[in-house]
Order: sequence, then C-alpha cells, then structure tokens
Amino acid sequence: MDALSRPAVVIDNGTGYTKMGFAGNVEPCFITPTVVAVNDSFSSAAQPAPRGAPAKGNWLAQHSAGVMADLDFYIGEEALARSRASSTYSLSYPIRNGQVENWDTMERFWQQCIFNYLRCDPEDHYFLLTESPLTAPETREYTGEIMFETFNVPGLYIAVQPVLALAAGYTTTKCEMTGVVVDVGDGATHIVPVADGYVIGSSIRSIPLTGKDVTQFIQQLMKERGENIPPEESFDVARRVKEMYCYTSSDIVKEFNKHDREPSKYIKHYTGVKPKTGAKYTCDIGYERFLGPEIFFNPEIYNNDFTTPLQVVIFFFIQSSPIDTRRALYKACHTKAEYEEYGASICRSNPVFKGMY
Amino acid sequence: MILLRSPSRFLLQILQDRVLSGEKGMDIDCHTVEFDDVRYHIQFSMRNPKVMVLSVALPLPPPEAILYDGLPLGAIEAIKAAYGPVVQILDPPKDGFDLTMKINLTKLPPDEEQRNAILTQIASVREVVLGAPLKLLLKHLASKTVAPNVDKLVALVHRPNESFFLAPQADKVTIVYPMRFQDSIDIVLATSFLQEFVEARRTAALNNVPSCMWSPAPPLELKGVPADALNANAGFVTFVVYPRHVEGKKLDRTVWNLLTFHAYVSYHVKCSEGFMHTRMRRRVESLIQAHNVCLTCLTLQALDRAKSDAEKLKKLVHGGSFKRLSLKNEGN
Repeated sequence: MDALSRPAVVIDNGTGYTKMGFAGNVEPCFITPTVVAVNDSFSSAAQPAPRGAPAKGNWLAQHSAGVMADLDFYIGEEALARSRASSTYSLSYPIRNGQVENWDTMERFWQQCIFNYLRCDPEDHYFLLTESPLTAPETREYTGEIMFETFNVPGLYIAVQPVLALAAGYTTTKCEMTGVVVDVGDGATHIVPVADGYVIGSSIRSIPLTGKDVTQFIQQLMKERGENIPPEESFDVARRVKEMYCYTSSDIVKEFNKHDREPSKYIKHYTGVKPKTGAKYTCDIGYERFLGPEIFFNPEIYNNDFTTPLQVVIFFFIQSSPIDTRRALYKACHTKAEYEEYGASICRSNPVFKGMY
Repeated sequence: MILLRSPSRFLLQILQDRVLSGEKGMDIDCHTVEFDDVRYHIQFSMRNPKVMVLSVALPLPPPEAILYDGLPLGAIEAIKAAYGPVVQILDPPKDGFDLTMKINLTKLPPDEEQRNAILTQIASVREVVLGAPLKLLLKHLASKTVAPNVDKLVALVHRPNESFFLAPQADKVTIVYPMRFQDSIDIVLATSFLQEFVEARRTAALNNVPSCMWSPAPPLELKGVPADALNANAGFVTFVVYPRHVEGKKLDRTVWNLLTFHAYVSYHVKCSEGFMHTRMRRRVESLIQAHNVCLTCLTLQALDRAKSDAEKLKKLVHGGSFKRLSLKNEGN
C-alpha cells in the first residue's frame, strides 16, 4: 500500500481559521480557529531557581517543566474555551497577516491537526498546504523542513491560495485558469493576477482592508449605537455578526430604504451570554449588515488613510499588469451578457458575504 | 491530549450536527481515512435526511490473522450488542469496504445523555469492530476461563499487513506486539521510547498495571509463527494482562489501549521528534543571538582599537611637532 491509494490531506492555514480535510470531499472536515493555548505557568517555573538550590535538581526541574510545557497545550475552539476558563493558558496566534510568525506553536498546531483532528498517520498521505502569494521562499523552506523531517510526509505541495481559488471554479464547462483573484483574508488582502495557473508575481497588490477591518468596523458601529454588549466580548460578537448576517448590497441607498421601511424584517437580533456572570444579553443588528462589507467599495466610511474603492484598484491593477494578459483578465472579470443577466450587482459580488446572486 | 480517544472526531461531529439540525438535510458524501488505514465512507441522502449509511474498510489483514467474511471474529455480534435497533447491517457491504451499516437517527433515545452516549459509540465503530475478538478473549479472562475453540495463539490484525498476537490462558493473557517503523530515525526513537516505557513501569506508583517487557528478539510465546510476521525492526513488546485489568468498566479501556498501542507509540515518536526540532531551533536561535552579541562586542572592540590607534597616530603627529620643537630647540 502506498500513499497514492489514499486521499491527500489538505490543510489550509489562514490567519483566522484553519480549514483541514481530505482531498475528494466537498467540504473540509474541520474548520477551527488558528490559535494555540499554551500553559504559561511552566515556563515561568522554568526560570532559574534561587542561587542556593543544587545545580542538578535545578536542571531536572527545568527539564521536566519544559517537558510539561511541551505537552500541555490546546488548539482551536478548545484553546479558546481553556483560556476563557482559566488564566494559566495564554493564547498564541501562530499566523499574522498571512505569514507564519511563531514556528513553535505552528508546529504544535499541525501536530494536533494531524494526530487529534484528522487522526491520520502523516506517513500514509500526501499533503497539500497553502501559502499566501507574498510568502518568502524561506518560509516555504521552513514548512518543508517541518513536514518532511518531523512528520515524514511522503510528499508535499505548497499551493498559492489564489490559484486554488481559481481551481475551485474549474468545471468541465469552464476550463479557465486565468483571472484576477481578490483574496480577502482575515489578516491580508491581495489582488493577484493568475495567467494559466501561474501567479504573475511582479504585479501582486495588497490593500490594507481585511476581514479583521470589517469586524472592527462593525464593532465600532455597534459601539457607537450603544448596543448592550460587554466590552470584552464586543470583537467576538462583531465577528459572529459578520459571519452570520452580513451581505453585500448593490445600492446602499436602496438598502437603507429597505431597512427603514420594514425594520422588523431586516433588523436581526443577537443573543449572547456574558462570560463572567452568565447573564444573557441581546443586541440589535441593523445597518451594519450591509455597511460592513461596504468598506471595500467605499473605504472612506471606515478610515481616511486608504480611500480607493476596490473596483478602482482592480481597474488600475489590470492596467498595470503585462499587456498580453490584460485582455484575458478583463474577460475573466465579467462578460456583457452576464452583466445584463445579473445586473450591476455582479461586479460587487464577494463570496465571503452572500453576494453571489 | 496525550492518549488517542476512541470516537472519531469527524464522525461524531457529523452525527451531532445531523441530530441537532432538525428536519432539513443536505446530501453528504465524504470519505475519511484514519491511522492504520481504517477508512470511512459517510453518506446522507436528501430523501432520508435521518438515515446515515456508514461504510468502514478495515486494514488489509496479514495471512496469519483469521477473518470471518472479512470481519474479525464476533464483530457482527458486537455491533448488534453495542447499537441495538439504531443500526442495521447491510449485506453485502459496499464495494471496497468490509462493513456497511445503515444508521437510523430517528430511533435514537430521546434523552440527551443516552443519545450522546450512543452517538459516541457509533463514532467509535472502529473499536467495536476491530476490538471485538480482543474483547471476547478478555471477557473470558475476566471470568477466568479460556474461550472454547480458540487456538493457543491468536493473531489479530491492527495495521495493514501487520498483526499482534495473543496467548490466552485461564488466569492471564499474554499480548505480544512486533513493532515496525518505516523511517530509520523513527526506529531509533521508538526503541529508546519502548525501553523507557518498560523502565517507567517499574516505578512504585504503577505497581498494579499489566507487566510489560521489551526484547529485541521474538519472545518464546511466538514459537511456530511464520517468520514473515516476526520481522520487527523495533523489537517486541509483551504485556501480561490479568483478570483484575479487565474487570467491569476497565474492559473497554483496556481493549482500546491494546488495540491502538502501535498508534500510541508512533504518535509519541512523531511528537517527540517535533519537540526535539523545536528545542534545536530554539538552541540555534540562542546561539545565533550569542554569536551576534559576540560580533557586536568584537566590532566595538575593533572600533575601540581603531580609536586608540587614531589617538596614537595623533600622538605621533603630536610627536612630529615635538620634533619640530626640538628642531627649534636645536636651532637655539
């Protein structure tokens, strides 16, 4: 039996969430937050003991403390629950802005993903990992080192996320691997031209608006309206509101009118439990349902530093890309027929928010 | 965290989602593979959103392990006993799988606790099926008898093309694992891990656990086993299980732990490899830091030296003027 006869393991580590599963399935098996809870009490115990202590005992204590610190950690939802329940665990986010920052916790995260979540033997499967388009080659080297030396994987491919996004739309009727991918992640947003499956590295743009900014904007809106949310939870609530209720709109004015005419239909409620006291609270969710995603198209409502709307960025972006790919990139955007069929809204569709009409 | 749990997380998650989701259902058709090459195929159809068809493929058995219709001894009975009316076994199983079950979620008990217990049980179908013969033998051990029509030495499959051996007796069962690893580093780590493991058994706190031995050569119990089954590259581990280890509730845990012993060792080997790499990385980082500090020191020293040289030079220049002075003096 060799690894070819088994499905490959796919792990997509994002800044916010990690998606993992097996090749051939429609959905990932698990989607968990990319977070590791590390026990701090051991590392503080591992500090040098007072001077009088015998050297050997000290070494032994440090050693066993180190071993325990290695073993005592949790990932994903479990990590969040642990850190909320007790103060001995501190959260570490191994990936920042699409780049791996902390290799120690990243390795532990992978270890748990493979052994405890997917429960597979890494020697038996090929692995597909992903990276953001602006990753340095050293990072890839490091990843390969961990995968091959620690986990002994038989084979590894590190794919670029935007190419995979195009591959996801690859069907029998539409075989195109050319397009502009706007990859809005939790920590990084890139606009990437892909021509025939290859990333044109020189013309990648990144814009300083990410999923986290949407969350922050929603948080700010809800705070300004004076919703009854405990401050320590507000970011979390905003994130959940974003994931559950937000959508992109074709016209904000129409959307405002719709909400004002029938508030009962459009205004949603969110119910949560205060973590410390256990008391329940509810809050209304109103305009932020469509205003959140709107920051991509009208960035001036969120901050004053970056005010170019996404569609303008994309336009200039294609203008600046190599001339022989421009035509294909424009074509990949939207055709006239599609435009007539679906209306102007198609240009604003964003798969994160239910904008695919 | 350190021990592997017996229910498959993915199966359990799918089952719980389905039970909580109410009437609306989606088509689900997915495969997963677990360690030791146990495969699952999960299907839900739109028409019957409350009926799950679960197919399980077991690891390929080696020639010495005896299977009945592709399943270990007593597996069918064990499934019936564990799940009751919820599960119906489909015969013949789906192509490429060893067992296909139809799980009717409407027949679950209404009480939440009981329901969760059954769901967890379904998610640990691997333990139920593969552990069936082991459980049977250990049950007989608990009542201090030897199961009838059982050979002196039983081979049970636990990994593709690999098996472990049981020598059942009335008062004890001896279990021998030939340990095999692929990678040369893994072999070394596993060997030292197993030696430590045996050593750890000797501490006072673990007096009552099954006795455990490790040897590089096959132990005497394995006489008469074909040589193919005995080419282990990380030695042989022997456990001796007494009736007190399989009393009452301990039975299930003992079965699971014995069944996944190899996975347990390989999980630990991989993890310790990972931790060693972490340590090495930290060490390299601290050395680089020390190196950089030294480098800065050296540069500073060099700068200092350069500075003092410059001062000497200045002095020399000064000396020149002294000479000039002396010339002047001479002139006087």
